[in-house]
Amino acid sequence: MSFFCEGNVHSLPEGSDSPSRLALEARCLGFGCLIICNHTGFEKVFMPEAASSIQGMEVVMGIEVMAENAKALHSRARSARTRYPFVAVHGGSEEVNRAACEDPSVDLLVHPEEGRKALGIPLVKAAQENDVAIGFDLSPMVCLRSASRSRWMELVRRNLTLIRKFEVPAVITSGAMSHLDLRTPRDLIALAEVVGFETSEAKESLLYPLRILDKNRKSWASPGVEIL
Amino acid sequence: MAIEVDSEEALRSVDLSAEIHSAHVSLYGDAGVAGNRLKLIGFDGKFGIIRCSHLKIEESRAALSTVYSVGGVRTAVRVIGVSGTIRGATEKYIPRLSLISADSDGRRIEREKVSGRIVHVHGRQIDLCPDDPCRVKGSDTRYLGLTSFDLRGGYVDADGTADGLRQGDNCIQP
Repeated sequence: MSFFCEGNVHSLPEGSDSPSRLALEARCLGFGCLIICNHTGFEKVFMPEAASSIQGMEVVMGIEVMAENAKALHSRARSARTRYPFVAVHGGSEEVNRAACEDPSVDLLVHPEEGRKALGIPLVKAAQENDVAIGFDLSPMVCLRSASRSRWMELVRRNLTLIRKFEVPAVITSGAMSHLDLRTPRDLIALAEVVGFETSEAKESLLYPLRILDKNRKSWASPGVEIL
Repeated sequence: MAIEVDSEEALRSVDLSAEIHSAHVSLYGDAGVAGNRLKLIGFDGKFGIIRCSHLKIEESRAALSTVYSVGGVRTAVRVIGVSGTIRGATEKYIPRLSLISADSDGRRIEREKVSGRIVHVHGRQIDLCPDDPCRVKGSDTRYLGLTSFDLRGGYVDADGTADGLRQGDNCIQP
């Protein structure tokens, strides 16, 4: 069984594939774990229980929180924390990126470059303190071409330099909306290398969601104190 | 390099070759392409063989991963193996009896959340053309991807079997 994890995919009704189809394809491609992060959460996902029929694949239902401002984000992230083993935040604006990095209930910040602005030093420091990973969705590498892809790559490289400096964990994902968007772990590593990742960093980024899941499955009395 | 091509419709070898070249040039530029000599040697509709420089394997993987659509049809190109010779790659990675054609017999699925016409069936995998085209709006695909696990317990079977589908050659037993 592979230990690579695809950390942020969308299934029906947001994407076009059911969780079991995504899991079946991901298993064929060499993943051992799949985290489905729909914006609307677990409740509206089509046939989530069918995904457990795919042997050798762990399918986890997470959520990708979307919010317009910091206040809404904090309240949604806090309420999602108790219900989901994996909480991602759809970033973009500087306010939402900052709020996500400063919130310990958040596991992953994805699309921080969507607002066409790179992350800043205070933001990355906050992510390091609160153990928030930064997500690198590589779908623009596939969908975009020429100038728009170059601009996206420039932003990602600047983010990567910062998160390397402050040793913030990174997570690479295909951001798949259908099985045609899924890529093998080796393909994702090759794409990540084009963006600027080292091979070892890219491998580590594909394994990191599993560590987040392990951490969230334990019960904690307070930060650093685990209830056995 | 042996590749597997996943697409919504049948593709022509010429179109795929042109798209791979275009994706390669877009990612690495003319100078990068000149140093690699990436070329589609053969393609049977599902599997293919690609020649590339042995020093540029990772570059070739990245370039092939960026293929998004071929002639307007959503496509994904995945590398299934790398070998030193074309013969080696063919013998090791290309199945002799690969299913190239797909079923399209007009069967329907009527479920509470999803309804439409079955377009392709391959083992457990089902591609469904939804009645409501808005269902595939966000993902830029034509069909919904389901499995027979999703249809289990439904009141309309796809072909009268217990799980709604016949068993394919690459099915996964639950």
